[in-house]
Amino acid sequence: MNSATPGTFTAADFAPATRRPDVHGLSRPSQSYWEDAWRRLKTNARALASLWIVVGLLAFTVLGPLLWRVDPSAQNLDQVSRPPTLGASALLVQRGARWDVPVAADWPTGPTDAWLEDAARGELPAPEGLTVVGEPNTWSVRIRWEPVPNAARYEIYRNTYEPTALNELGLPLGETLTGNELGWEDALDLSEGDYWYSVTATDGLRESTRFVTVRAPVQLAVTIDAAKRSSYLDAAATPAPGDRVDLGAHPLGTDYLGRDMLARLMYGARTSLFIGILAPLLFILIGTAFGAFAGFVGGRTDALMMRFADFVVALPFLLFMILFRVASGIEAGESGIYAILIAMVVLLWPATARLVRGQILQIREEGYVQAARLLGAKDGYLILRHMIPNTLGVILVTLTFAIPSAIFTEAFLSFIGMGVAPPTPSWGSMCFEGLKSMLNSPHELFFPALFISITVLAFNLLGDGLRDALDARMRSKE
Amino acid sequence: MNPTQREPALQGSDDEDVDIILDVADLEVEFDTYGGTVHAVRDVSFRVPRGKTLGIVGESGCGKSVTVQALMGLIPMPPGRITKGSAKLSGREILGLPERELNQIRGNRIGMIFQDPMSSLNPTMRIGDQIAETLRVHRGLGTAEALRRAVELLEKARIPEAGKRARQYPFEFSGGMLQRAMIAMALACSPEILIADEPTTALDVTIQAQILELMETLQRDEGMSIILITHDLGVVARMADDVAVMYAGQIVETGTVDDVFYRGGHPYTQGLRRATPTNDPEQTQRLMPIEGSPPDLFHPPAGCGYFARCPHAMALCEHRLPPMYTLAQHARDLDHRARCWLQHPQAPDVSDVHQLRDGALT
Amino acid sequence: MGAYTLRRLVQGVITVWFIATATFAAMHAVPGDPLQNDKATTAAIRANLEAKYGLDRPVFPDQYLIYLKNIATLDFGISFTQQNRRVNDIIADAFPISAQLGVLAILFAAAGGILLGALTALNRNRWPDILIMFAVILGISVPSFVFAALGQLALVNLNAFFGTTVLPVAGWGEFRHMLMPALVLGLSTMAFLVRLMRSSMLEVMGTDYIRTARAKGAPGSRIFWRHALRNAVLPVVTVLGPAIAANTTGGFVVELVFAIPGLGRAFVEAVQQLDYTLIMGTTVFYGSFLVLMVILVDLVYGFIDPRVRLS
Repeated sequence: MNSATPGTFTAADFAPATRRPDVHGLSRPSQSYWEDAWRRLKTNARALASLWIVVGLLAFTVLGPLLWRVDPSAQNLDQVSRPPTLGASALLVQRGARWDVPVAADWPTGPTDAWLEDAARGELPAPEGLTVVGEPNTWSVRIRWEPVPNAARYEIYRNTYEPTALNELGLPLGETLTGNELGWEDALDLSEGDYWYSVTATDGLRESTRFVTVRAPVQLAVTIDAAKRSSYLDAAATPAPGDRVDLGAHPLGTDYLGRDMLARLMYGARTSLFIGILAPLLFILIGTAFGAFAGFVGGRTDALMMRFADFVVALPFLLFMILFRVASGIEAGESGIYAILIAMVVLLWPATARLVRGQILQIREEGYVQAARLLGAKDGYLILRHMIPNTLGVILVTLTFAIPSAIFTEAFLSFIGMGVAPPTPSWGSMCFEGLKSMLNSPHELFFPALFISITVLAFNLLGDGLRDALDARMRSKE
Repeated sequence: MNPTQREPALQGSDDEDVDIILDVADLEVEFDTYGGTVHAVRDVSFRVPRGKTLGIVGESGCGKSVTVQALMGLIPMPPGRITKGSAKLSGREILGLPERELNQIRGNRIGMIFQDPMSSLNPTMRIGDQIAETLRVHRGLGTAEALRRAVELLEKARIPEAGKRARQYPFEFSGGMLQRAMIAMALACSPEILIADEPTTALDVTIQAQILELMETLQRDEGMSIILITHDLGVVARMADDVAVMYAGQIVETGTVDDVFYRGGHPYTQGLRRATPTNDPEQTQRLMPIEGSPPDLFHPPAGCGYFARCPHAMALCEHRLPPMYTLAQHARDLDHRARCWLQHPQAPDVSDVHQLRDGALT
Repeated sequence: MGAYTLRRLVQGVITVWFIATATFAAMHAVPGDPLQNDKATTAAIRANLEAKYGLDRPVFPDQYLIYLKNIATLDFGISFTQQNRRVNDIIADAFPISAQLGVLAILFAAAGGILLGALTALNRNRWPDILIMFAVILGISVPSFVFAALGQLALVNLNAFFGTTVLPVAGWGEFRHMLMPALVLGLSTMAFLVRLMRSSMLEVMGTDYIRTARAKGAPGSRIFWRHALRNAVLPVVTVLGPAIAANTTGGFVVELVFAIPGLGRAFVEAVQQLDYTLIMGTTVFYGSFLVLMVILVDLVYGFIDPRVRLS
């Protein structure tokens, strides 16, 4: 009934074994806390990707302005709210150049009396030969047409799509003065793209329902003066109207003052990341020192210190951020970054203090600290060797999560106009400005919002990854 | 209910005639972890006859708890998985049953109590309601009726002022009282088997004795079988009929209490015995710890798991898994078997491990 | 329980005193004369105010004591910029609006957070979990003002699609004005609660007492509703107090974007116009309200967790 007696055996098989000392060894490699944490972080694809995003953001902020040498505060009112482009050119036009509308001198200015008295007269036909004159551009679109007999005036309409019925003619631009005035110059708030111009004739009594439409592909134009001002052209250059000029690339478009979005986002990142990283760093440092001291000293001092921390926690955060911002009284020309920084540090340290104190209290009671104490370890040694290394993980995770909320806070303050003062760009203030033109040029809101979101997302995921990697409980569970 | 009514059937010598409640064969359980697969339970087989107590002994991490939790379908899957084996409850396979059918067995035909009563009871639910829940789930009783039965069960578990206690929450109970409540809960539906996973480990010694006594009494009254998991040989000696000794995920020795305690055929069993204090005034031997630690179950050794610590380790032990040698057969109890090369006829004789020589144990 | 409540209330009063003092200190650090504001006053009102706030007397202790006395009698004074309007009246007008919005948002956030969080935990690493957690990460990473803007944009398109005002884009008055702002306001809180609920639920599902319930043979639905949910909700309840506070964050933005005449907007306007009494009154009122909320939530927690209730 023996379950197995495989093969035959020699006496050597039953000789006492020679045991190597390593058979006791664990087959898993032993790893230090930080080695293990780093290994776990590396296996977390999301956290690793976030780490790279953070590195990329820092590079964007620090190296970006070196590579993309566009002045973030240079305004260009000819290029307001332009969508992203990698290199547009524009038509040069002369400022104030007027077009003399063609008039058929040999044509009557109005209808004949016979026509007007004819009770059975029909509708006037639509004008023929409606054409666009020259290159239609954002400064002016010129159209002309052939005269219609008995026309007293012509009505000109404009729409952004091709009209198929009378009620789709669109915006009435105006009417000519006479029946022999055969052209119209439109300079009314034009932007790039196609427009459809329609013309009808009227005999002075009744407007004809017959219309004729022409498409005008409107292209961007700048005046020669503006081009020189914005240094698209040398001041000495003497270009002719109709020449083209290179406007330079705006990979992320321009804002409502024609400033380059990419350059502004780079400089805005400085503001946002400066506050977003430095403020948490400072308040966590202060909170750690405060909490560690309270926790280590204990007793009445601890109770008093923590009660004070509780008070600060109870202050309504945003209201006091705003109050401090007002109280610090920013002078003209200052950005107010430091006011926000200080307010954040003053208001936010207690959470870290509480956390660190709790950790220190817990570690103080741990067996290994008691043992070290019994062996005669000094306080300084205990703090440096046992307490700080064992709280570092928690502090690091807190820092990672504090960064996105600091970035949010700055953005929020800038959004309600209580953040950094213009013209200093920050992602939050750019969002605020972009919100106003959200419907017409969504990129002005989209890009800064995207940058905030990606940054916050990256730090959040990194924080998640770090927490999982550093959590000793997870080490044994997995 | 009446333990004597089955007695005649137990007298046959053939396995088929013995009233086996639970028959576990070749059970293997693995866990996936970041470092690889842990082979927590390897090739475990045992049987539990009706009305008997099986003690499973072993040190921490040897796979005792995983074995019974696998039977109850309590292993989180993933990361755990049962890769092999069968477990028959009164002849019916229970491994791999769908959750619905498993729920008709758990708490109804198999009751279970756990090591730490403090954390094993829902902190936000009254004790009475937690006991009544078992009855409501399996017996379909109404709230009032189930609660009335719960109070009776608490009384049976010798909890004073049961009516008042039933309305209290776990944090208002002491550890010993909680374990009584756990027992009352596990026995609510008069299960055929009670699995007790280290029921007294978390309790202090005086309470331990009370709990064990309660379990004995209830077993006598109810006629159920018990699987008692412990690392305490004293508890096994007192409670168990049969013993299975586990080491590194495997059963290394089985047998009756007397087989294992007095005729131990495995060096680990003997090592355990020598490391356990007794209250025998005659005994003057020093306690001998087992040097070293169990092997890492990430990469279980190819040979005997105890090789590294065994005082009698032989050359072939390192690479060849020893087979189960049957040392004695029993009609009603677990056969006395040991997984050790020392039981091979060619193995040298040793003084402190009982060996099968010429059909008898030395 | 009574003694506990009393102790918490006394602590709360001290906290409010601290908030009031900090506000006072901050406002007196603001450069310039508080009555210099050109909109502020006629000579008569100026004299009146100077007398009332003791502005002709030293800041400390006289002005400070008068300020504390006024707060103690729940009199926040008269607005500097909205003449003849008492700050109390302004708060009484604006606060109910913010409160309605906040309550609706919290209800929305709590219900969504608890249910979705539990759902993700039960489906750990399966598609509902992955899908919801992706949305949650998005909800946490996108600033509230972007959601507000998108919400408004959605309303514009919705109304354009139906050719009628299904839900108003901005303003206040009817219930339908509230829906989108509350949704936007509750969104980030909900995302936060989903995460919390998920980890809490995962922890509870791994506890010994859930194992016990499974060993009892209780069906999954029963384990979820009777055992897991109640215990997992406990940590969610503890953060509801701070979550209400966090809602004031979004409250500012939402009230600004949707043109809702609530307290957040009143505060932002007061700050922009340097309306001292209104700023101080709003801050102290809001601070007290939050302190009260935290105490209330703690007391409610006691009712849910027997360990707290009975000790």
